[in-house]
Amino acid sequence: MDKTLAHTADFHDEAPLVTGNLSFHDITEIVSSHTEKKTPLAWFGAFGLALSGLMLMITMIAYLVWNGTGVWGLNNPVGWGYAIVNFVFWVGIGHAGTLISAILFLFRQQWRTAINRSAEAMTIFAVICALVFPGIHVGRIWVAYWMFPIPNQMAMWPQFKSPLLWDVFAVSTYFTISAAFWYVGLVPDLATLRDRATGFRRKVMGVLAMGWTGANRHWRNYEKAYLLLAALATPLVLSVHSVVSFDFAVSVVPGWHTTIFPPYFVAGAIFSGFAMVVTLMVVARKVYGVENIITIDHLEKMNIVILLTGSMVGFAYITEFFIAWYSGVQYEQYAFTNRMFGPYAWAYWTMMSCNLFFPQFFWIKKLRRNITFMFVISIFVNIGMWFERFVITVTSLHRDYLPSSWDYYSPTFVDVLTFVGTFGLFFTFFLLFLRFLPIVAISEVKGVLPEANPHFYDHEGDGHAAEHTVSVSSADGNSAH
Amino acid sequence: MIELPVIESFDANEDTPRSRFWRSVSQYENSSEFKRISGEEFIPGASNAPEGATRRQFIQLMGASMAMAGLTACRKPLEHIVPFSHMPEDRVEGVPVFYASGMPFRGSLHPVLVESYDGRPRKIEGNPEHLDSLGTTSQYQQASVLNLYDPDRMSQVSHNGEASSWGAFKSFAASMSASSRVVVLAETSSSMTFAAARRNLEQRFSSVRWVNCPIGGNEAARGLNAAFGSGLRASHQLAGAKVIVSLDADFMGSVDQDSVSNARGFSASRNVEGTGEMSRLYVVESGYSITGGMADNRLRMKSAEVASFAAALAKALGAYAGDAGVHASHAWIEEVASDLRSAGSTGVVLVGDHQPAGVHALAASINTAIGAVGSTVQYLDANEDVSDVHAELEAIEADIAAGNVDVIVTLGLNPVYSHPGFAAAYAKVDERIHVGMHKDETAQQATWTIPQTHFLEEWGDGTSRSGVHGIVQPLIAPLYDDAHSVLEVVALLGSGIEEFGYDLVRSTWRSMFSGDFEKGWRKVVHDGFHEGSRFRSVNGSVSQSGVQAAMAGVSVAAHTGLEVVTRLDPKVLDGSFANNVWMQELPDPTTKVVWDNVAQMNPKTAEKLGLSAKLDGGKYIADIVKLDVGSASVEIPLWIQPGLADDSVQLTKGYGRNIVSDRAIRKTNFFDTSEVTDVYGQGAVSTGVGQSVNSLSSLIATATASKAGSGFMIASTQDHGAIQEEGEIVKKRGLFRQATVEEYRANPKFVAAGEPKPIREDWADYPTLWENSHPSKTEEITSSKYHDYQWGMVIDLNTCTGCSACIIACQSENNIQVVGKDQVSRGRDMHWIRTDRYFVSGDGATFDDPQMVLQPLPCQHCENAPCEQVCPVAATVHSPDGTNQMIYNRCIGTRYCANNCPYKVRRFNFYNWTKTLPETVQMAHNPNVTVRSRGVMEKCSFCIQRVRAVNKTANIENRPIEDGEVVTACQQACPSQAISFGNVADPNSAVSQKRTSDRRYELLAELNVKPRVSYLGRIRNPNPNLA
Repeated sequence: MDKTLAHTADFHDEAPLVTGNLSFHDITEIVSSHTEKKTPLAWFGAFGLALSGLMLMITMIAYLVWNGTGVWGLNNPVGWGYAIVNFVFWVGIGHAGTLISAILFLFRQQWRTAINRSAEAMTIFAVICALVFPGIHVGRIWVAYWMFPIPNQMAMWPQFKSPLLWDVFAVSTYFTISAAFWYVGLVPDLATLRDRATGFRRKVMGVLAMGWTGANRHWRNYEKAYLLLAALATPLVLSVHSVVSFDFAVSVVPGWHTTIFPPYFVAGAIFSGFAMVVTLMVVARKVYGVENIITIDHLEKMNIVILLTGSMVGFAYITEFFIAWYSGVQYEQYAFTNRMFGPYAWAYWTMMSCNLFFPQFFWIKKLRRNITFMFVISIFVNIGMWFERFVITVTSLHRDYLPSSWDYYSPTFVDVLTFVGTFGLFFTFFLLFLRFLPIVAISEVKGVLPEANPHFYDHEGDGHAAEHTVSVSSADGNSAH
Repeated sequence: MIELPVIESFDANEDTPRSRFWRSVSQYENSSEFKRISGEEFIPGASNAPEGATRRQFIQLMGASMAMAGLTACRKPLEHIVPFSHMPEDRVEGVPVFYASGMPFRGSLHPVLVESYDGRPRKIEGNPEHLDSLGTTSQYQQASVLNLYDPDRMSQVSHNGEASSWGAFKSFAASMSASSRVVVLAETSSSMTFAAARRNLEQRFSSVRWVNCPIGGNEAARGLNAAFGSGLRASHQLAGAKVIVSLDADFMGSVDQDSVSNARGFSASRNVEGTGEMSRLYVVESGYSITGGMADNRLRMKSAEVASFAAALAKALGAYAGDAGVHASHAWIEEVASDLRSAGSTGVVLVGDHQPAGVHALAASINTAIGAVGSTVQYLDANEDVSDVHAELEAIEADIAAGNVDVIVTLGLNPVYSHPGFAAAYAKVDERIHVGMHKDETAQQATWTIPQTHFLEEWGDGTSRSGVHGIVQPLIAPLYDDAHSVLEVVALLGSGIEEFGYDLVRSTWRSMFSGDFEKGWRKVVHDGFHEGSRFRSVNGSVSQSGVQAAMAGVSVAAHTGLEVVTRLDPKVLDGSFANNVWMQELPDPTTKVVWDNVAQMNPKTAEKLGLSAKLDGGKYIADIVKLDVGSASVEIPLWIQPGLADDSVQLTKGYGRNIVSDRAIRKTNFFDTSEVTDVYGQGAVSTGVGQSVNSLSSLIATATASKAGSGFMIASTQDHGAIQEEGEIVKKRGLFRQATVEEYRANPKFVAAGEPKPIREDWADYPTLWENSHPSKTEEITSSKYHDYQWGMVIDLNTCTGCSACIIACQSENNIQVVGKDQVSRGRDMHWIRTDRYFVSGDGATFDDPQMVLQPLPCQHCENAPCEQVCPVAATVHSPDGTNQMIYNRCIGTRYCANNCPYKVRRFNFYNWTKTLPETVQMAHNPNVTVRSRGVMEKCSFCIQRVRAVNKTANIENRPIEDGEVVTACQQACPSQAISFGNVADPNSAVSQKRTSDRRYELLAELNVKPRVSYLGRIRNPNPNLA
């Protein structure tokens, strides 16, 4: 086959996933060294800040538990406020990791290897942040466990028709699978760290690595387990936010009672999750000097996903309006008009501009490869997606059927500081992760290095294995991958 | 507190000159301090909690009440509290006993039936056998039980600000000189025994000047006096009325003394179904009252010009010859006059209490001229006091200034507060004896203050509004040992010897029976009233010269400038209910304001005066307006209310109190919000709430207004999110459906037209999902014993006035907590039933002159309840008898149910409102209803405790439940009987009959939630010529 033709037709022939001509050893060194060197002062500074955020959250929760839900700004029509908004926000962020690890894995998107580890870590920590809220948002926190189907002497089960209960199952399943998935992926890298370590550290890593030797049988089992978990996690990515959206969609509240919610929430979740990954990676790759592993191409791909899902979300916003008009249901119509022009119009337009308008800049290649610009946009998207949940939750509730009951919701300092505190929780975990665990999946990245290609050295190691491979596979009509 | 006879004997024998042992010098000298503490085992405060009744007292009181439960008719003058050694025969633990009694209120005895649990009076209903109640009440009767348990009540006799004792006061009373010149200021009373005691008092002292100060003034009586020559009382029989003209009279509002019978009569006159002809109500008023909301034709007019309107109307009917002034040729006059003329004896004119006597005289003249007397209005010979209270008080002030008064006695009144000008004179009298419930403004200046008993703690008597003699019987021993009734104090002052209320009342009544006294007495105590006694109805002719004379001082000219109208408050009245937290938190029926009084004016007037109010983050933030009337001025926050007369400001009395409470200020840790979890933490609850407007001595005055401040937050239960297009939304959503009587005759099913429709398909195209597997069809439900009864409610919007008696009745029945101004402003009020107020413009009504409608809204008990489906722990479920119930101990407080309730009737306990409640307030709780703790949802239960009580009785008696046997609290109180409740599975039940009405509709029926509460649309009967 003509070489030129192969070049133009072959989408595999893209920029290398790892730049800087790194060897296997370089990868191991770059990633492992961060967990092995003396802890930098800056880390302590950041960790101290995060820890005070966490303490703030704990203090606010203690204040809430001691005094009651009244310390929040909720009122009669608006029974859900910051707590639920924050819950949905964090669960949404928790979508990116598993999507990157599982779905992109199944679709053989190899660029995922650079970011999957940290994205999964982010997922787990975000879900932990989310899980804080269902527990504390109830009025009687000490009996929140009644939501679980625990056999008891009263033969009293939860009410299985309630979407809140589905939530309990969906989110806890998602958390369990995500955590297992993440840990399984970590095992080979933990072994690498163990092999490089001495003393107590070696012992700890040894236990965590579960006796990994890198034997062929280990690799085979590992690959199988990883594939199975990816297959298990994939439907969860879609189901968890669908179920979260049922909390709203199943109700009779105008603005909530919408069949578009499940896909719209999933798209929104991916959108916000990717934005959060971009926010974190832009900083982390610089600080940890892994720019050659998490390259600008990776970031650009994520920005394309942001552009895509952002447009999907925007489409959903507009569809909702269309359906409100088309259905002829006056409550629905009022709810959406009220969003745009009512007392919460400021929140609505914040959401619209952050989620629909700003990501459109990513149509421009120059901008979506600009580190500063993408950082700013990703922050906007994070803000916008928080406001999306705020708009859905609060503006629908504050004016529903009977005008006599309409009211306005304003958060109290406890609401705000609890939310701020969850970032403390998140970054506490994330900084611990950055400090003690390999932030990039060493083994997986090695797998996508040009050197990893069995044919890499076929032509005296000219580094063009991909071309040759493709030519061969095209010729016999069979994928080599 | 336990009275040991050994110690007590010192008191009894203190004057005997025999040798005795003494413990200390103070005992030997018998100082007042010693006397106070000698009755107790330990020094004061050592063994008792600092506030309210102690556990020990509580048990004593329970014991005392138990004793009484068995001894209703033969209570001994002094009870010694002993435990039961034998249970009284008819006593069953936990089963309430009902006692008929009377509530002395504003110069009449209001017949009540009091529910008592284990000797603890708890709920007040109307006496169903008494013609003046027929079982219904206004909110004042309902709320009065909380006054008994008011933790801020004065508990001890004090002298010159020092704690003293009843014994000391007795000695003082005995030692009073017969030559003392005494002034007595008293609440108007209808008590015969009290009148006798007064006569004794007047005999004992050389000079007694007795002034009755009626709440709300006595202009009506003075007007009738002018017209007929004696202090008559107008009593209206509106049931047969065809044309009703209200001249600034809120005759169905709770501040009207006859509101209960008026509302009942009015609702009977609105019976539009069948061939029933419907009355027409004209209202001419400056404010927007609930009566105005019921009006068929309503005219906004300054109160100051109503006299002219009345004169013109009287003139048109040939009932007045004087000058009619500015409204002589008002477009309404001819229409109203011709309607009244043709109505003849079925017409009636009513006048508001704050209108001058001349207008009342004119109304009497009109009513006489059209032949209404004896038909729709009766003038009763109630011997009303017609003295000019203001003039008398001024004369007393002069006397005091001249040093001609030695003793002033205030009985249950608070002149220092209600007549600020009188305060200076009051302080100059040597002996100032005050009897009252609180350490109020007058008590703080008095030399002797005597705690007054609540009417549930005392014996008394009186006459009802129509003149039926009745009895006040105690249901509980006074919560505070020192408390005595006004009657007992007057009797003591009159004779110098202590006499007990029981003996006094019995001695009066001895003369009232011809036969066996004990037998008659027993019957009266049992029934609460003495049958047969009524006031004589007077059929005299009107003295035109009297009317002219009464009108002489009344201006009929156009009023220029800003008028200020001061009325009694529909919640706290003149301030006598100010310390009643239920009343403070009751939304004003029309403005929905709580915990404040406001200066109402319409948007135009506010704009003209440069005043504004805005909604900021759901809170109503208003300017403060300064009103100058002559030398007096008040500063009060602004409230903009549509529909008021231009240039008219409406104020209400009763706020700005200063009561001193003995309770300690609650101190909490910085991390503890319990200072907001109930309203009792910061001293007396009414102190500092609102502004006193008593310095404006004239009820209708001319004022100048200026802005005195801004940024005042007013808490209301409804205007958190009000927008102008609200009325349109209400109409579009079919929330409140109404039609004129012509429209109704033409299309009796007019409510169907108000039903919102989907634009493309019919509702029939949306079948109910899973209808056949509906939970109500499951075996567990259908086989239940309760399943035979399916409870439902119908609320007739044609007769509901929105008076709010139901709200207080519900609060009292269902232990609904009070949360205070701050929490209400955050939208956390707890009422289970509310009255939604909407303004309607369009269809002839404009934004400046809108209609106002009120709609009571309890839980709708949906058959497809959206709340039930979303609860993750099954804490809200359907009962087999078709009601939606909260299982409080299962509730974890996700608030999902409240979000999903389309009617927003669910209420969440954001804090533990009961954690710090004073013990006495807890005594007002219903033992059959769970006191909800923090973090759980609550809502109307259809008074399930009452349903179950009847279930139980019927089950024991092995019989079906009769229709009307279960009565909900709201239904029971409702003066206009707009609420029907019963078994909808029985086609013959009253509620099922109502459900067959053409006017029936369900709120938000298109949601297919199938509410068990339905509404009957309102019919209006406007004069077509006055559209």
